[in-house]
Amino acid sequence: MATTTAQLVITSTDLLSDSLSLSAIATLTNAGSATGITQTTGLGRTKSEATSAYTLYDGDAYPAASAHKIYIKNLSTTAAEYVIITANSEPIGRLYAGDWLFMPWSAHDDASDIKITPSVSSALTIEHMLFFES
Amino acid sequence: MATTTATITLSSADIQSDVLALTKQATLNKGGTTTGLEQTTGLNKVIYTATTNIVLLDSTVLGVGKAAKVYIANKSTDASEFVLITINAQIIGRLYAGDWMFIPWSQSDAAGNIELAPSVATALPVEYMMIHEGATQTSA
Repeated sequence: MATTTAQLVITSTDLLSDSLSLSAIATLTNAGSATGITQTTGLGRTKSEATSAYTLYDGDAYPAASAHKIYIKNLSTTAAEYVIITANSEPIGRLYAGDWLFMPWSAHDDASDIKITPSVSSALTIEHMLFFES
Repeated sequence: MATTTATITLSSADIQSDVLALTKQATLNKGGTTTGLEQTTGLNKVIYTATTNIVLLDSTVLGVGKAAKVYIANKSTDASEFVLITINAQIIGRLYAGDWMFIPWSQSDAAGNIELAPSVATALPVEYMMIHEGATQTSA
């Protein structure tokens, strides 16, 4: 069994009148158990050059009702450039330049693909990684 | 303008033969700008005692197409307990005990709510926070 952790720290001294310093750490485990997730796609890098939708992770390729985790980062340095992240064609959000996300993914059916749609047809690079159970 | 950062660190010595030690930081800005997000719901903590699907964050006109960021954490300590996260009724994933998520939320339309369904009716604590550009206020 592998031990993988994901830590989040959100900080701000001026968003509120009280300083914000939120930390959360998760150990990535299989669904409903204390057994660590043992499989990963590794950290990948994808460069898009069109505004078409790209399938990043295919819902058909991973078991449903699981505790997969996805990390995606938009490596663009142009503030206006974003990628729309969708799950089963439903937009989750726009990942602007420098933004990242980390979220669970249940791959609940064959249509629940994770896709990205870049806002520009010039080169836009993202990094991404999936931790998954079998 | 406020400066808020979100940093992720992914670590593992044994999930692959190369050590994983990834740290990335994002500064939370308004969509397409370098101006920091200035509004937040604050950090909410709610203890759920039913398995009913509830609206955690209601999509509003002022949020559509924007660059809100959402943090949700399942604070249960029972490994089998999860909350099912959906957006506009589409399943995103199960957030098991101790898990957290941090996502952009563009509120594609007025139906793009973020909803949550606990797996158990016993007390299940969840923390959540949205940092955003604007939200439509409900008239009294």
